Amino acid sequence: MAGMSKVMMTLKLDPKDASVDRARDLLGIDDSAIDRDFGVIAVSPDDNLYTVLVEETAAEDIQNDQAIGGPFSNPRIEPFGPPKGSDG
Amino acid sequence: MRVLVQLRPTELPRASLAAHAEFAEPPIDLGVLTETSLVLDHDFPPVVLPTVHAPGAVGMALALGAPADFSFEPPDVSSVVRGSIPDGDGQQAAVGELLARPEVMGVFSDPVIATTLTCGGDPPLGDAADVAARLDCARLHEAGYTGADVRVAVVDTGINDRYLQKLQRTATIDVPNSFTPAGVPTAPGAHQVAHGTMCAYDVGIAAPAATFLDHAVLLSRTPGQVQIQGLLSDAVRSFSQLRALLLADRDTPLVVSNSWGVFDPAWDFPPGHPGNYTDNPSHPFNLIVATLEDAGADILFAAGNCGLECPDGRCRFTNRPICGANSHPAVLSIAGIDTNDERVGYSSQGPGRLSAEKPDVCSYTHFKGSEVFGRGEPDSGTSAACPVAAGVVAAIRTQCPPSALPPAQLRTLIAKTATAFGAPGFDFDYGWGALSPPALVAGLPGSPQLP
Repeated sequence: MAGMSKVMMTLKLDPKDASVDRARDLLGIDDSAIDRDFGVIAVSPDDNLYTVLVEETAAEDIQNDQAIGGPFSNPRIEPFGPPKGSDG
Repeated sequence: MRVLVQLRPTELPRASLAAHAEFAEPPIDLGVLTETSLVLDHDFPPVVLPTVHAPGAVGMALALGAPADFSFEPPDVSSVVRGSIPDGDGQQAAVGELLARPEVMGVFSDPVIATTLTCGGDPPLGDAADVAARLDCARLHEAGYTGADVRVAVVDTGINDRYLQKLQRTATIDVPNSFTPAGVPTAPGAHQVAHGTMCAYDVGIAAPAATFLDHAVLLSRTPGQVQIQGLLSDAVRSFSQLRALLLADRDTPLVVSNSWGVFDPAWDFPPGHPGNYTDNPSHPFNLIVATLEDAGADILFAAGNCGLECPDGRCRFTNRPICGANSHPAVLSIAGIDTNDERVGYSSQGPGRLSAEKPDVCSYTHFKGSEVFGRGEPDSGTSAACPVAAGVVAAIRTQCPPSALPPAQLRTLIAKTATAFGAPGFDFDYGWGALSPPALVAGLPGSPQLP
């Protein structure tokens, strides 16, 4: 798999408690390993499920439990057009 | 194997056949063929062939570069009939047995021919006006289906409003509600002229009055990046912002057009891995797509350019290239057709990975439109088909908001009213068929009908 420097983790959080600091503490990672610009983003609000972006190396050490999911891939995305031939 | 067999006439015609508007058949004896292993195709009427004379030609009489005279004079005509001979071991014997007949002048192959699909690098087929005509935009606009008071988020490389104005397009950009990744020096509406500007242009074919949200996700920068690409996490941020906007203003319909995807499975965890994106409905981005749709957004994704006939050179999926959110059940996955209503050879075919029944419908591409890639270059890829379709959806939403017809029901109506090609129903090339605005409007509950 082509290198992804950062990956996504999911957490079940109380919406009142959905902060980068809380996510960092729950994940048990250093502050430098979590992307504060990305923040904490609700992906399934009905389930109180949020996602954060963390360094892939830090994610390897995270212990998953019922409240934590991941790591999830953060692949490159590209525009589809114009179609390029097999030599480009 | 199908063959053509050339036969001499049993007697010479009385006059030249060249003067006949419909060529009279010279008499031939088909009975001689029943003594061979040729299975004659009786539905194929014999075709008269002339003899070619190439005076002064050296070598083959049919040298393509030499002038030739085609004679239908009585001694020069013959007939060709169609049939089949065995394949495999019996084929050579069958040919020999035919050629042994004095009436048979030659045995030729009759290969299957097929239309040449439009592929990347081909010149444009038709132009934006042709697309507008095929979508019946004149009547749509006359009935008030213009995209007015509808937001269209173009999640792409950014829009250049000044370029669109030069093409007599007034693209209203909602700058405060647009999204620009950190570190990108240009502002919404003022990004470099590229793919995203093409998409905005193509939305405007059906929805000239739409308001654009410029979500330049594909401009995000990673160290060492050399080409236009983004990261899926930026799309997560974009969709989160769009959801917040929709929740704050449910009265303004939102259409989200996405002409991007993942080309290479090597960029992802493998299918089956719990962190995989392309095949995993539990991936955060696939979850947020469902969340945004549930909030009331109409979401469209291009099916991709990995069609079997002429895939993009970047395609690395060996099968089922419609993957990830491009195959999500809560989105419209858009395949590409040219203005001859023929699928373009690069349009990805289903089944999809998250939802098998993809693509959903097809829309127009490979036409002369924005010319952002150069004068005479087409708006191409399913990249163009998607915003063309998004424009139709935005136009519809002007008169039929999600409160009257939620996104899931609109998708169903779009599928039911699509113009099917070939056999009726769904197929993995065209989906349910071509998006058909007149039929779609006719099926809307309580909305104005077309004049």
